[in-house]
Amino acid sequence: MTGLDELDRGPARPGTGRATADPVKALLHRHRELCERAVDPLEIAAGLEAHGVTDRTAARFKHRDVFSLAEELYARIPRDDGAPRPSAATTGPGPRAGWVVLTLLPGVLGLASTAALRLTHGQNRVYAVALGVLAIALAMRAALRRGSPLGTTASPPTTGTAVWTCWLIGYALLGDGLLHTAITGGPDGPPTRGPGGSGSPDGDWTLVVAPVLALTLAFAPGAWSTRLFAVRARRKVAASRGLEDFADFVRPLLFGSLALFLCALGALFTLCATVLGEPFTHHEVLALGALLFLARLLTLHGFTHAPKVVLAAAALAQAAALATVFAARLPGCGALAVPVETLVAAWNPGGVATLVCGAAALTLLIHAARTLTRASAHARPEAPSQGDPA
Amino acid sequence: MLTEGGYPYVSGDAGLWCDRLVRGLGHHEFDVYAFSRSEVQEDGGWVPLPPQVGRVRTAPLWTTEDDGVVYGRRARRRFAEHYGELAAVLCTPDPGPVSVPGPASDSAVPGAGPGAEGTTPAPAEADRFTGALYGLAELARDEGGLATALRSETAVRTLERACRAPRVLPAAREARVSDLLAVAAHLHEALRPLSLDWYEEDGLGAVDLCHAASGGTAALPGLLAGHFFGVPLLVTEYGVRLRTHYLTRPDSSSAVRSLLAAFHGRLTAETYRRAAFLTPGNTHARRWQERCGADRAKVRTVHPGVDAAPFAEAGESPERADPRTLVWTGRVEPAKDLVSLLHAFAGIRAAEPGTRLRIIGGPAGPEGAAYLEHCRALAARLFPDGTGRPHAAGAGPVSFEELGGPGLTGPADAYAAGAVTVLSSVVEGFPTGLVEAMLAGRATVSTDAGAVVEVVGGTGLVVPPRDPQALAQACVSLLRDPERRARLGAAARARALELFTVEQNVASFHDLYLEIVARTPVHRVRLSDAGDPLPFAAPVEAHLPGHWAGLTPHRPRRTTPAWARTTQERGPSPARPAPSPARAVTHPVPDATPVPATEAAR
Repeated sequence: MTGLDELDRGPARPGTGRATADPVKALLHRHRELCERAVDPLEIAAGLEAHGVTDRTAARFKHRDVFSLAEELYARIPRDDGAPRPSAATTGPGPRAGWVVLTLLPGVLGLASTAALRLTHGQNRVYAVALGVLAIALAMRAALRRGSPLGTTASPPTTGTAVWTCWLIGYALLGDGLLHTAITGGPDGPPTRGPGGSGSPDGDWTLVVAPVLALTLAFAPGAWSTRLFAVRARRKVAASRGLEDFADFVRPLLFGSLALFLCALGALFTLCATVLGEPFTHHEVLALGALLFLARLLTLHGFTHAPKVVLAAAALAQAAALATVFAARLPGCGALAVPVETLVAAWNPGGVATLVCGAAALTLLIHAARTLTRASAHARPEAPSQGDPA
Repeated sequence: MLTEGGYPYVSGDAGLWCDRLVRGLGHHEFDVYAFSRSEVQEDGGWVPLPPQVGRVRTAPLWTTEDDGVVYGRRARRRFAEHYGELAAVLCTPDPGPVSVPGPASDSAVPGAGPGAEGTTPAPAEADRFTGALYGLAELARDEGGLATALRSETAVRTLERACRAPRVLPAAREARVSDLLAVAAHLHEALRPLSLDWYEEDGLGAVDLCHAASGGTAALPGLLAGHFFGVPLLVTEYGVRLRTHYLTRPDSSSAVRSLLAAFHGRLTAETYRRAAFLTPGNTHARRWQERCGADRAKVRTVHPGVDAAPFAEAGESPERADPRTLVWTGRVEPAKDLVSLLHAFAGIRAAEPGTRLRIIGGPAGPEGAAYLEHCRALAARLFPDGTGRPHAAGAGPVSFEELGGPGLTGPADAYAAGAVTVLSSVVEGFPTGLVEAMLAGRATVSTDAGAVVEVVGGTGLVVPPRDPQALAQACVSLLRDPERRARLGAAARARALELFTVEQNVASFHDLYLEIVARTPVHRVRLSDAGDPLPFAAPVEAHLPGHWAGLTPHRPRRTTPAWARTTQERGPSPARPAPSPARAVTHPVPDATPVPATEAAR
């Protein structure tokens, strides 16, 4: 606010040189911008003083002090309060190349791990898979910590959410096979990778890679759609005139970005399952993807509590389903497994995960539709980034 | 003592002043309640505290910790009610003359000063504001969780409703969602003091006087202490906070600025209304305070003090000065207008060829560094030979030096080096450098900015700012007249010693403390263990000024009023109960307030 250069160019001595009829007019002209945007005379007074106008200066304008001079200026300036002002540019910085690479990294590592799983044998395969899992975990961690959609620095993920997310992903990898085996009487040994999935013999504990690979690949579209959501919502905050107006805009945006992510995930999963020759269990993958995406979206906007609770509930429900099947083998507890067995018989082993994740995702969606449509959710630039997305 | 972003942090603004005050009033007990402004400041640590500082409680303004309290239905309704009231007050046009845009003030009558009009908001309006403010404070005290609520959607919705109500400010009606969010965020920050746990019986409730080291946020706990416990408030403002608020937000929309201006304006008016005394640091601050509704009877200007000791040697030996040297000191920044000074010096060189100019001081920030470079280049252009070189001792007519170099260990050396000290600022607050020059007994030539005229009085020459010709003429006249120079220098030193020393500053506050405590003592009803009020627990003597334990060596000079001294000499009269047993009852919690209530000024 110290436009000193401006005064340097024109010396502020109206009383000394040419005696104009209206010395205030010259002053008004010089400080037009200040006077036009001032909300009250005190603001003009403060601005004038910052420009070096003192009471002695004001006396030359035949005013008692700066305040009365400012009042005259305030009264004389034509102000149009309804004038459209340029809306502040609140668009975040464009996506940085480093961020884009980071979001792609888990998918690339997932591809590499799957290839290693396919191509290696024996001891080497164990090492390769362990290395791959570790690399994916580290890449995700890095992407999540640096990958807040608006480029803000974020806090490290809470261990709670991360643990539950790991369980959910692990279940996608192993759970269905284990459940199927458990119901049919197994397991009799460590999991094996089903050669083509469908061709695995009964009693063998199969490993389903395609869903997890699709999820790692979908990390990038997930991150991009959260970014899209955050950026568009923030832009709308600057532009919209009312809170209802804003909520009406954000609600479809939320559903749209979720749909965008699910489309990408579905396509990627189709591709993975085709290439790997594994069964097309779209419903299960999409339910899990939606759950993780919504959890990430909510945590990014500062609502960390609900995702943590819902993820924990989903993981515990899955664990309970497995536990009931095993507990049913105890004498006298056979009735425990009835619900799960009925479900699996009616549908398939993926039904448990689909039901659990679907219900959890629906809960989070309802929660998100209520909280993320509030303007206050998009106010804080320092959104803590936690949890794992798809 | 309440501070914001200052004492006791090392990087505090007014830290030096507070430290001197606390150390100077060693016989008072201080509790420091401080707000820190940033993490950097908090990490910087505290200055060493003297023993009279009893306890220090701090709260960060830059972050909030949630207490995890989520309001139930009733608390939420209570919050929405008070917050809505607050928002409604902010959105309605100020009834005072301050912000009425209309034909009434359109006539541009030159003589109609603002002093004639009442600048205080109408009582009903002020009552609504304070009612809402204290309502929120009471809610925070009863339930907690105010910080969360102020950031919640409820707050934003309430604000929106207030802005869409009929008869609001035109600017408020234009508010967009982003504006609402900005206002809500700022209110959350500004109302942060409400949700602190300082307002307890053993916290601010136990003090006898709140001394806020600045207006605005720092004074808010003082207001609440006054509201809850009737503790009197003393507000010291060296720079008016309200004015700073106007200058800090140039890029916001008009809706945000008008709502926040309304908030700070009303908060300031309320502070000024409730304060027992206001002590502006200079006339400029005083004018702002009066403009914002301060009662003239309550305003006492207390000039900041400068430590006179380092300048004693320079001040006593004016003949040491080089009679052909001009000195400028300070932090180099554009507001100091060194360009005018250099142009003026060109004129001085034309009249008095042997003159030198020493510019002593480092740049302030990157802007200052760029400006310093600009000035060096200008100096090299104006005086082509031998300038711009650092430490060009005796060689060029203009030298740029920094304190700490050879022969310049402190500011006193800087002033001692020249016969005339020049100040060329365009914008100036309280010119500490000028006071130092006066203490050093140097004749001064300064520009008319800020509190310069008030400080200099008749002991130096004052010229209009941005007028190199006038500046040059004044300097030349002083350079050619050693006798006048000596006379002005001696007068300046006498004036500064009388008015602008640390001692006078401390003594003024000492007097004010005693006066406030004597006028508005905090009446506390002492309760016995059974909960019944004890009738004679707080004896009359407890409200009399004076120190029970006798004079302490720290007592400043010329301060003890005659009536206070006689009280001590006379001792308690036989008609009253003896003080010592009564005091034992008065202070059941010895660690909280171990001294008589009157003297424990915080």
